[in-house]
Amino acid sequence: MEGKYEFEKKFRDQVLRCSSCGFCRAVCPVFGLTKRPAFNARGKMLVLKEVMDGNIELDDQLIETLFQCTTCASCSEQCPSGVQPPEIMKQVRKDMVHKGSCHPVFEGMNQILQEHTNIYAEDEPEDFERARNKKAEYVFFIGCVGSYREDEATMATLDILDHLKVDYTLIDEVCCSGALEDVGFEINGRLAEKNVELILETGAKAVITGCPYCSRTFNGKPQYQGLKDAGVEIIHISQFLKDFDLGVKTDKAVTYHDPCDLGRHCDIYEEPRETIRKIAPNFVEMRHNRADALCCGAGGGVRGAFAKNSIAMARRRLEEVEEAGAEIVLTECNSCVHNLNNAKLRAQKFKIYTTSQFLWQLLEEQD
Amino acid sequence: MDTTIKQSLEEIVGEENFSDSLIDLIAYSKDASEHHHRPDAALWPVNTEQISAIMKLANREKLPVVPRGAGTSLAGLAVPEQGGIILDLGRMDKIIEINIEDRLAVVQPGVIYADLDRALSPYGFFFPPDPASGSVCTLGGNVATNAGGIKGAKYGTTKDYVLALEVVLPDGRVLHTGSKCMKSVSGYDLTRLFVGSEGTLGVVTEITFKINPKPPLVSTAMATFEKLEDAGRAVNQIMYSGIIPSALEIVDQQTLIAINENTDLGLPVVEALLVAETDGHTKEETEFQMQKIISIFKSNNATTVKHAEGKEEAEALWTARKSSYGVVARINNNLLVEDLAVPMSKVPDMLRAISDIAGKHDVKMPTVGHVGDGNLHPVICFDGTDPDEVKRVQEASTELFEKVIELGGTLTGEHGIGLAKIPFMGLEHDEISMDIMRSIKRLFDPDNILNPGKMGLEE
Repeated sequence: MEGKYEFEKKFRDQVLRCSSCGFCRAVCPVFGLTKRPAFNARGKMLVLKEVMDGNIELDDQLIETLFQCTTCASCSEQCPSGVQPPEIMKQVRKDMVHKGSCHPVFEGMNQILQEHTNIYAEDEPEDFERARNKKAEYVFFIGCVGSYREDEATMATLDILDHLKVDYTLIDEVCCSGALEDVGFEINGRLAEKNVELILETGAKAVITGCPYCSRTFNGKPQYQGLKDAGVEIIHISQFLKDFDLGVKTDKAVTYHDPCDLGRHCDIYEEPRETIRKIAPNFVEMRHNRADALCCGAGGGVRGAFAKNSIAMARRRLEEVEEAGAEIVLTECNSCVHNLNNAKLRAQKFKIYTTSQFLWQLLEEQD
Repeated sequence: MDTTIKQSLEEIVGEENFSDSLIDLIAYSKDASEHHHRPDAALWPVNTEQISAIMKLANREKLPVVPRGAGTSLAGLAVPEQGGIILDLGRMDKIIEINIEDRLAVVQPGVIYADLDRALSPYGFFFPPDPASGSVCTLGGNVATNAGGIKGAKYGTTKDYVLALEVVLPDGRVLHTGSKCMKSVSGYDLTRLFVGSEGTLGVVTEITFKINPKPPLVSTAMATFEKLEDAGRAVNQIMYSGIIPSALEIVDQQTLIAINENTDLGLPVVEALLVAETDGHTKEETEFQMQKIISIFKSNNATTVKHAEGKEEAEALWTARKSSYGVVARINNNLLVEDLAVPMSKVPDMLRAISDIAGKHDVKMPTVGHVGDGNLHPVICFDGTDPDEVKRVQEASTELFEKVIELGGTLTGEHGIGLAKIPFMGLEHDEISMDIMRSIKRLFDPDNILNPGKMGLEE
């Protein structure tokens, strides 16, 4: 059956296959916070069934649920019927934007990336006191959050790469623009071309990304096929660091927050833990970990569009840190670090860092 | 919805706990069954006083009210078939008390089964009736449906654990039933009347459960049988051998075929696969029981018998049973999880009949079940957009339940009547019993505002 919208053509079977069992209630971070069934995957699928049946239109009334999904993919892991709601949501948002129904924050984001080179519209690039665009074995690709919001974490990562004498270069990077795909738009071709061109010019054999989302974008999106064609490997910093032993240790209780983009979306659970176990014998897991990890609430554009709920989701994640009795929370995504730190209450004494940021601290303390 | 009524409801629960937004009306139009109908509004009450005020108003205005937990009903219990108000109790999710000395837990209706289980775990206690939807289903819903689970044969169902209830009646009065004592025969057993009443008599706002110490050890074994009758005989012999397994599950041939067609598990395609679990406090205790079960498997021509050493092996033995739902659910667009129970000695006859009926109507009915208590779940996965297939599924269902009653069984072991089983009520219950049930409904809810249209109570 031909549908009126693109999502029907691509995902009609999946939407119908949702048997409304409601098992997604157990894991959906938006539902867990709000206890409002319209927000979990079952609620969203029911809304889409009504759209497919022609009972309702894809219009502004649906923005609150269809745009409020962190695309964390917990529901996909849990679904007995094999439905992949994040993929459906991304297409539905495109259909909505096409029809003129979009959350204003995302329209703004698309606009910003038409006119600027990063999601924060910062025109002055952050100076990390490192060489740019030189010939090197590796390119280190920072990402927007690492460049403009979590620059201390980025600086620490670069310090570690220097310490390990890695032959790398930064580039005059621009936003990978992968996030646009999540919120109803397309990857910005101009930005993608610029990144591919700059990376290839360095002659690097691999790109190490500081951001798991950039890594996913480079690896999976056709606009970045040029990298694959040239044989350039894309790895996340956590995959790179696991092969080194920095010879530092902490006796603090350390836990690890699995970022959705690295965990459920890339199946990378053990590499970060390998690195952390080497430095922290007192490693503890949170109640929800690996494929079951709770989302920090930042993804899928939710932090920008539904800030209050996004922070509240991060608070729920931090409750599990307290429950586990950890003093240090490590993660591998600047966006998670940013949201979790924003959500942390003054009474919560634990610290939140990227793994490399914490490693660098230990190295500095040792010296 | 009438603006004055809307205003009054908003005053009771607060504006933020009222919704008539399209997205909420759609989300509340369905549960896990095939039935659907939109409500006119949804409310998220947070205490008994609010619910009492809502019921008074609804009773005065003759407005249908449908209490709802996680909406995981497979029989349409939570579908607002006549519109009205959805009362979502999910935000009343506090565990009020865990009292190990008195062996009880007091909870609000919106507490999730798994959350209570986790809270009891540090004390070495558990709440045994464990539905497959335990990670999401609410205890209020478990009380309303008298939910069971795989531990039914040894530990019973929800009704065996409810000691006391606080219930808001359709006229807004707050009723307290039962007692916190382990024994009580003081007056009519009103508690039991509410358990399994599908939200048609009152809104449960507080539950006192008996809890059990959890045996820390289990032993697991799996056996395959070329002939269904051999498996059936093995089950019967186990159940009168003096051993009561903590779980005894069956997977039928159609399920094994479905799993093999859709995964690379490569399971043996036999007529029946049984999984048994025993529990206890020492290895000697669990093994003593399991050895008896294994010898019964063997003396009944089991083709293979596997006994798990350790947790990982035990999990492997559960694979066929535990993956069945996820596999069957992916086969087609619509999923009908049926529920029936027969006397234990009739399980093989029922399984044969299911296979025959499926063949006759050209539908797939892979079946799994809790054979230790005679409770079977044929799972029908079909294409709801094909009118011919829908018709065949309906015909097969009718024949299925005729057979259940013929074998002395019951229409539902643990899912309830809801909307799905109304057409079959007359098969099991005669006019006298329907008349008494309707009289009870009228006594509590003379204006028929609470979950109307369910259980075949309307004439």
